[in-house]
Amino acid sequence: MPRHIKIGLIVLGIGFSVALGFFVDVIGRVQSVIKDESETEENPFQPPAQPLYDPTDPPVSVKLFFPSASGDPLLAVEDETIFKSSELTNRALQILQKVQDGPRKGGMFPALPKETKVQEIFISEQGTAIVNFSNTLATNHPGGVESELATIYSIVNSVTYNLPEIKEVKILIGGVEKETLAGHCLLLLPLQMDLSVTNATPRVENTASVR
Amino acid sequence: MVVAALGAALFIFGDRIQAAETSFPIYFPDSKLVVKADVTNRTVYVPIKEIIAHTGLPFTDSVALETLTIRSGSNQLVITKNSALISFNGQIILLPSPILREDNRWLAPVEFLTMGLSKMTGSAFRYRPGTARIFVGNVDVPELEMNAQTLGPITRLTLRSAAPINLELKRDDPLKPVLTINRGPLDPVRERIDHRDRLLRSVTYDDSDGESKLILDVTRDVADVRITPANNNRIFFVDLLRTGEAVTAAPPPTEPPATATAKADAPATNRRVRVVVIDPGHGGMDTGARTAAGSEKDLTLTLARRLRTALQARLGATVLLTRDSDVALDNEARSAVANNNQANLFVSLHIGYSADKMEAASSIYIMKDGYGDASSEAGGKDQLFLPWYLGYKVHRQGSRTAANILQQELAKGISGWKFPIRHAPLAVLSSATMPSVLIEVGNLNNTVNAQTLLETDFQTRLINAMVDAIHRFSESPQAAAN
Repeated sequence: MPRHIKIGLIVLGIGFSVALGFFVDVIGRVQSVIKDESETEENPFQPPAQPLYDPTDPPVSVKLFFPSASGDPLLAVEDETIFKSSELTNRALQILQKVQDGPRKGGMFPALPKETKVQEIFISEQGTAIVNFSNTLATNHPGGVESELATIYSIVNSVTYNLPEIKEVKILIGGVEKETLAGHCLLLLPLQMDLSVTNATPRVENTASVR
Repeated sequence: MVVAALGAALFIFGDRIQAAETSFPIYFPDSKLVVKADVTNRTVYVPIKEIIAHTGLPFTDSVALETLTIRSGSNQLVITKNSALISFNGQIILLPSPILREDNRWLAPVEFLTMGLSKMTGSAFRYRPGTARIFVGNVDVPELEMNAQTLGPITRLTLRSAAPINLELKRDDPLKPVLTINRGPLDPVRERIDHRDRLLRSVTYDDSDGESKLILDVTRDVADVRITPANNNRIFFVDLLRTGEAVTAAPPPTEPPATATAKADAPATNRRVRVVVIDPGHGGMDTGARTAAGSEKDLTLTLARRLRTALQARLGATVLLTRDSDVALDNEARSAVANNNQANLFVSLHIGYSADKMEAASSIYIMKDGYGDASSEAGGKDQLFLPWYLGYKVHRQGSRTAANILQQELAKGISGWKFPIRHAPLAVLSSATMPSVLIEVGNLNNTVNAQTLLETDFQTRLINAMVDAIHRFSESPQAAAN
């Protein structure tokens, strides 16, 4: 076989190998993307990999706000206990999960509509907590001004009252900003604590914050 | 060569090419004259011999001297062909463009009438650049204001006239409905509005033949055009309804008898609340709270219509509803109705719903104090535009006063019911730039409460209490400040 044909065949072989390797790599990437998407669709809420508190964390009492049965004041207070995790996000998530579970005492209603889950929380350096709820926060909400107001301030007050580092709460629904919760109350801007809708006294510095 | 020749021709004859003939009505106190005006390079040329003849002034047209001399008593006005200078009793006046003489016609820029002829007749010729009409002397010309807005599935054209008018709809061409206005001359604030939504493209005021009319340029989706007069025919709502919308749309509002309105209108000049906008909550696909007793959207509309009738009779105020049929509106469109109509008070009506079937709470809401403060401060002085949701701040104190008065009157009128005032970040109130409140009455999920809400007697007491409150509010300093 002439020498130049040999060289040509070798070059072709190398080229074919590189192309094959590239093709296999692309196929692998596409499959991994498809796999990721299907996992996301099946389970949109990924529970945190780490527990929200350490077994050695001390318990601390918090005040949770729920819609009161009497309607006046709008929100009633329930005392609960969480664990004083060193991570602010974890403390906020513990509080929000208690709000999500609903009140234990009578004379109060659940703050969140059925099947509503807290999906994630992000806390900015300026003290704004951005909390993302599942779509059911809006779709399962019965509506009405009073009812929307009660839901919003149950969330906002429960977080800001117990965690002074968090100055305000911005609510996202299904991962996106919504103009209103269910047609009435604005969610465009983060909201600060409002104790005028409760009988609670202004907080003292014995809250769940870590000094 | 050809291109050069065309260019030269365009350069030389460009002026004439741009000339366009347009009808130009001139309204005298007791007559009108429609002349053909030439518009050349934005200069409006009017045939002055016809106008002078209409005024009855004697004139001499000298072909040899190429002058036109107009006389009135001892006054004399002389104009010369191709000159922008005119002589009034020997005093020279400079016009913005020269006077032309073509085919035995004297054509003068429209300013000749305002600067020259008015001195001869003793009556002012009023001309606004950009318009195609002139008013002479003390001819009565009410202003006409037009606004168009998209309100969910309908498009509403709101016409406000300073004097009563009558509208007649002609739909010879379905894409160009014409609203004929059976009144003398009008002075439109805008000659044309371009809206460009799914139903309405534009509205043009046209009086080129001396008759006032509005020409609507609509799309093929418009099935019906509904005209609703208000405020003694000074306000008209022209609703463009889409195919299918006409069937579900409620009939036009029933206005109180003309005599009652006329009587109530008498002290209207001293009134502080002139325009009230009532917002029946929800509508269309958005039913609001719904139980076996009924839907919130229907109940709020019933209450709003009754409140309108009562307010018109008692206050003589212009009362507008954000919706007068079963249509869905977004929050911004609702407050826009109040803003566009310079309302002095905005009241949004809602019926409550609580998961607790025993609850029967009602509330009066005003916008939450300080909402949006942090974001507007963050923008600082460099912020070019203020967010629209801060509109509520303008009349924060007025909203408080209105809520306090409503609370007192409702407690007085409906014994046993409580109406606490609450502050909430409400979308419908955030961009309303006048005192604004939202009232949520009862609990539709409470069977007894729902039955009460449907009773005519209860509704009457509720409406009367609200009318008393709005009457009291209209006398408050906050209403005056609005």
